[in-house]
Amino acid sequence: MSEEEGTLEQAEDRTARFERDALPYLDQLYGAAMRMTKNPSDAEDLVQETFVKAFAAFDSYTDGTNLKAWLFRILTNTYINTYRKKQREPFQSSADELLDWQLAEAESHTSTGLRSAEMEALDRLADADIVEAMAALPEEFRLAVYLADVEGFPYKEIAEIMETPVGTVMSRLYRGRKLLRDSLADYAVERGYVPAASVSGGDES
Amino acid sequence: MSCGNHHATPCTEVLSLVYVYIDNECEDMKSVEVTTHLEECGPCAEIVRVERVIKARVKSSCECTEAPETLRTSIVTSIRATYFRSE
Repeated sequence: MSEEEGTLEQAEDRTARFERDALPYLDQLYGAAMRMTKNPSDAEDLVQETFVKAFAAFDSYTDGTNLKAWLFRILTNTYINTYRKKQREPFQSSADELLDWQLAEAESHTSTGLRSAEMEALDRLADADIVEAMAALPEEFRLAVYLADVEGFPYKEIAEIMETPVGTVMSRLYRGRKLLRDSLADYAVERGYVPAASVSGGDES
Repeated sequence: MSCGNHHATPCTEVLSLVYVYIDNECEDMKSVEVTTHLEECGPCAEIVRVERVIKARVKSSCECTEAPETLRTSIVTSIRATYFRSE
């Protein structure tokens, strides 16, 4: 086999390997892109660009390492560089975020209202309510919660995907989940699933 | 603040670890301490239960997005075009 044929075969192998290994993550990447861009057309463009970039960089991907995390990192980078630039907003939130999840210690049983009412309300809320509450979260919180809860990434991998320290990931998860729980409680009250008093916090009675 | 009962690990500490615990990111030792605490403290156990339910609902409501078939075709076409250009 000539050297040229060898290179050719390699390129063909690489294409086949990419289609076999990377393409199965299409639905998952599209799902994340939908949560990022909030519209199907931008999500499609974002995923298309992600796969084209990933294929171009596929040589630099080390076989046996976490392909899914690698693809999500390219997706997140592409999103920040392309779509965030359009909006001219900084991706990082305020600097005080590092510490505040640790303030969770200040939380007590009494600050979170009636649990049994909350559980019942959660059961009655529709998937669409949860999706809507997620969509309303500030972006970096939404993405952290999505990567942890929907994709099940460990903190270390979320930190690599979002290019932030693990402490920031924990802070974003903490704040994102608090906000999410608050809006779910609001929805439950609005829809009359629970009386306002039982989820508004305050006294545990 | 606490539930008023004495626990080897205080409620405040357990509550600060709720997310780390449900995400399976707790160190083994701490995880055992939290589990023990939850077995004996109803209010903390209830909080963990609610957080687990929310986590599960987020997953089940957000994960079922299927990419359009046209997107798949378009990606495969771009990849193969790149490959043929590289020949």
